[in-house]
Amino acid sequence: MSLLEVKDLSVEFPSGENTVKAVSHVSFEIREGETFGIIGESGSGKSVIGLSLLRLLPANAKVSGRVFFQGQDLLSLKPSELRKIRGKKISLMPQNPAGALNPVLKNGLQIEEVFEGNRDEKKEGMKKALELMKQLFLRDPEKLCTLYPHQLSGGMRQRLTACISLSFEPEILVADEPTKGLDPEAKAGAVDVFTKIKTEYKKTMLLITHDLDLAFEVCDRIAVMYAGEIVELDQASKVLSTPLHPYTKGLIQAHPRNGLVPLSGQSPSRIKLPEGCLFHERCRYSDVECSIKHPEIKYYNGGLIRCHFLSLK
Amino acid sequence: MSLPVLKVNGLAMRFGTSEVFKNVSFSVTRGETLGLFGRSGSGKTTIGRCIVGLEKPTGGEILVRGVDILKMEKKEFRKLRPKIQMIFQHPETSLDPRMKAFENLIEPLKLHSGLKRDALMKRGEELAELTGLRPEHLARYPGHLSGGEIQRVVLARIMALSPDFIVADEPTSMLDVSVQAQILRLMQKLQRETGVSYLLISHDLEVLKNVCHRIAYLENGTITSIETINRGIKI
Repeated sequence: MSLLEVKDLSVEFPSGENTVKAVSHVSFEIREGETFGIIGESGSGKSVIGLSLLRLLPANAKVSGRVFFQGQDLLSLKPSELRKIRGKKISLMPQNPAGALNPVLKNGLQIEEVFEGNRDEKKEGMKKALELMKQLFLRDPEKLCTLYPHQLSGGMRQRLTACISLSFEPEILVADEPTKGLDPEAKAGAVDVFTKIKTEYKKTMLLITHDLDLAFEVCDRIAVMYAGEIVELDQASKVLSTPLHPYTKGLIQAHPRNGLVPLSGQSPSRIKLPEGCLFHERCRYSDVECSIKHPEIKYYNGGLIRCHFLSLK
Repeated sequence: MSLPVLKVNGLAMRFGTSEVFKNVSFSVTRGETLGLFGRSGSGKTTIGRCIVGLEKPTGGEILVRGVDILKMEKKEFRKLRPKIQMIFQHPETSLDPRMKAFENLIEPLKLHSGLKRDALMKRGEELAELTGLRPEHLARYPGHLSGGEIQRVVLARIMALSPDFIVADEPTSMLDVSVQAQILRLMQKLQRETGVSYLLISHDLEVLKNVCHRIAYLENGTITSIETINRGIKI
């Protein structure tokens, strides 16, 4: 059963006289208990999707489409109704945990801050949060609460933001680039944390990442984004081990383990998108049709793919 | 065997009572990439900062062209400084946010080259082409560039001074996988074309194994081994 359904979501940002097309006609669903991953290079529109679900984009963003959660369209809810969902039913674990925590407040106070109500309710909330911190591999949480964010390592800060995001037991956790800038040890720790959130807490997650290892370990299904569009969507193991779209193939070959083969060229300008397939200028399989006709996303072999690639014909 | 461009002997650093590293020794020859691998907090970045003169070590020597830079007069070191450059981990803080990419790029040339305006602009354009920057990138402010584009501007800016040696401190840790491959391959291309040497600091062993000629392992504050990698082509 789908818990969240995104239908034809488009996001544009006005830039002077032009418009930057950040996300174009994106549709997907997240099923209950599933970890759905969105991968793609920087600027492909991944984070914009995460933020638009909770309407956290800047005021000048033009958002169209629908996002259904428990029968309600999040994009047309009144602000007062949305506040009941934000953080409580759908929680966001933001990119850059160092920037997400207030540097002048001790960690304990930052966790306590999220609990509403009287003193007893706050105390009860804190008790739960401390237990959660222990569960998420944070040793000595009481001491940790007396420290400031800068006194924690990157990995610890990331787990702390995970605790804050989970303290209201949300139904969906949106994690935006949780391993960016972490060293391999902390990255391995993050895989453990997300595996635990998934298997023990049975949380539904939207994992936005460019870390292919994390996506492979944790995600059930993956959508690959390129220049604001989904170009491939299928089971995580299929996408990452036998990719179909030339962009996904390139992304996997660029991984150091696979020889660090760079994709040629750069992403297209989002103000003036190229004719035809958005990837054709960088694609080694492209032919004449690719530069003329924009491919529609099609069902293929159990998944979805947006390509005129010959094997699909 | 060619003479080392850089030789570090018994380098030590202490902050108060805590010893970050001691007896760190290695050398880098022309056209070579030496990887420096270690965990977070092992002192990799501090070693890099000592080499470019941003930190003063508490012991040891750093020989550039056979001369110990730690014993050099400030004035003397300043003359040598353009030849030893550093790429920092966070691309977004590497450039002046108030200057457009092209102005950032030609700034070192203005300071050190003595070129006239026309020649300066021409050299700037050459450097942009060398590093794969398009005219539309050059007209933007750093805040409007992606991490990979900024690292290209940083590389162009550094290459403007024809350095002998570059300390690259986690140059791709904030970049995604496809851009990381592009930047590392670009660094290799620049090395083949100019013979520049790198000290590539990283906590990602797979990255180092792909691009380095040798890798030095920093553990418990000292270099425990230096491994030769066959993959790299040394010039």
